Amino acid sequence: MEDEAFTDINGKAISLDCQSHSSFCREFTVSSSKVSIGKVMVYTCSVWLLSYAVFFFTENTAVLSSAIVITLVGMMLHIHFVKVDHESLLVIGSLGIQVSSNYASGRETTTFIEMSKIKDIVINEAIYMHQIIYYLCVLLKDPSEPNAVSSVVPLFQSSKPRLNCLVKVYKSCQEILSKC
Amino acid sequence: MHCSGSFSHLHTGSLEVCGRKHNICMVSDFFYPNMGGVESHIYQLSQCLIEKGHKVVIVTHAYGRRKGVRYLTNGLKVYYLPLQVMYNQSTATTCFHSLPLLRCVFTRERITVVHAHSSFSAMAHDALFHAKTMGLNTVFTDHSLFGFADVSSVLTNKLLTVSLCDTNHIVCVSYTSKENTVLRAALNPEIVSVIPNAVDPTDFTPDPSQRQEDRITIVVISRLVYRKGIDLLGGIIPELCLKHPDLHFLIGGEGPKRLVLEEVREKYQLHDRVRLLGALEHKDVRGVLVQGHIFLNTSLTEAFCMAIVEGASCGLQVYDRVAGEEVLPLDRRLRRLRAHCGPVAGSIFAFVAVLDFLFLLLLQWLVPDQVMDVAVDATGPHGLWRQETSSKKETHSKSATSS
Repeated sequence: MEDEAFTDINGKAISLDCQSHSSFCREFTVSSSKVSIGKVMVYTCSVWLLSYAVFFFTENTAVLSSAIVITLVGMMLHIHFVKVDHESLLVIGSLGIQVSSNYASGRETTTFIEMSKIKDIVINEAIYMHQIIYYLCVLLKDPSEPNAVSSVVPLFQSSKPRLNCLVKVYKSCQEILSKC
Repeated sequence: MHCSGSFSHLHTGSLEVCGRKHNICMVSDFFYPNMGGVESHIYQLSQCLIEKGHKVVIVTHAYGRRKGVRYLTNGLKVYYLPLQVMYNQSTATTCFHSLPLLRCVFTRERITVVHAHSSFSAMAHDALFHAKTMGLNTVFTDHSLFGFADVSSVLTNKLLTVSLCDTNHIVCVSYTSKENTVLRAALNPEIVSVIPNAVDPTDFTPDPSQRQEDRITIVVISRLVYRKGIDLLGGIIPELCLKHPDLHFLIGGEGPKRLVLEEVREKYQLHDRVRLLGALEHKDVRGVLVQGHIFLNTSLTEAFCMAIVEGASCGLQVYDRVAGEEVLPLDRRLRRLRAHCGPVAGSIFAFVAVLDFLFLLLLQWLVPDQVMDVAVDATGPHGLWRQETSSKKETHSKSATSS
């Protein structure tokens, strides 16, 4: 169902994949762009140039070895904890919502929110860094207080799609939520 | 205040701004939850403009935990931007740090007119400056009077000269204020209009039976802050009370200078004659006013006393005139800055204007305009907001929009 081209808030291309498992179960996957080789080169080169400059003045080889370690560990930490390959949202009517994000290293984190805690799914506005952006979020309620919003869970936090993508996901989610 | 949550339900993808006359952005450091004349003026003016069919958004700085985007009555959108507050609820002015966020607001709301309020507000001056850099029309409303002699006035007046020399139109709230502003900012008086604040006479009817005839009561209603001349008030209370034994004071309002009045009351044993009422609700003001014989206003900078007026002015004529004016290109703007503001300040601010322009180009390269989403238009009686809320309630009784 990848018919439209979507971008994230920085203008990078992302893709939205909607899978309809049944009439009350849908899965949305937002895949962000892969790590570009240019970016890796820039970071590696800057670390290496810096370490060579330091080495030139100190003449201590430990600087060079630490540069290797920093580059390798930095890359590993980045793909394991920072770089999210794709995020998915699984909405199952009358059961709940599962939010999972897969990191570039293959690590996966998953949270499940049961339907009794969900008040609604809405699109909200927020100030993020030096921008004002739209984001999709799940409103949670306390079962004891069904009318108040107890907390907000933002969705697609790392891919940050733009409004047209969010509206599409939002409409499909509302179709399912309104049925139950 | 009818403050609803900022969650928006979106159904249609139609984001075009059509059939609107103007998209107006009100910028001021002072807005609710801070209380005062400027705040209520901005709110009432925005509501009037929304009724006229314009789209209005308000930009102010964050107040405590109140950050982000909020909606008030009729879908009036308020941006609480997280900018650092320096002094007296006014943000620090560095000319540049507010540009990214203000540009984002101006772009995504498709703003055509920027309306800044109050010369105390650094954010208002910043917004005027950036709006000119971005090529938008600007209006400024001055709410205060200033002196010419002391250092702070001289500096503020210079800043005002610079930021107002670019402004398309200026609104003052009284003729005294117009004279004052024209002199301070060295302006052409033709671009300054006066729209006095108006009182709703049905809300403020006299009632002499409430007065106590055996004494003279002086009513003071203002925020108890330095600018409102509370130190002056504290100075005259004991002298007046000594001269006239039948004089009583009734003081309404709250603020840091309350301590001064309490000290005076303590020192001269005036507990039975000076009554401090504390913060007053808007609806209680009349009840206090009718009890007095004399209304006293000690404010140092007041241009038009808002304590007894309901600010509901309508700036429609002003905006129409502004729309016809051209926006100067950068080089002519620089020449005007230098010609108007003197060789030293003019050159400095011309340099700052160039830097601002370069910064804007950098931001446009980092975050291009087309990457920013156009904000959903929720304003007004025919706006997306109300329709969507009602249709939402019809289809299934669930609403995240009602507060």
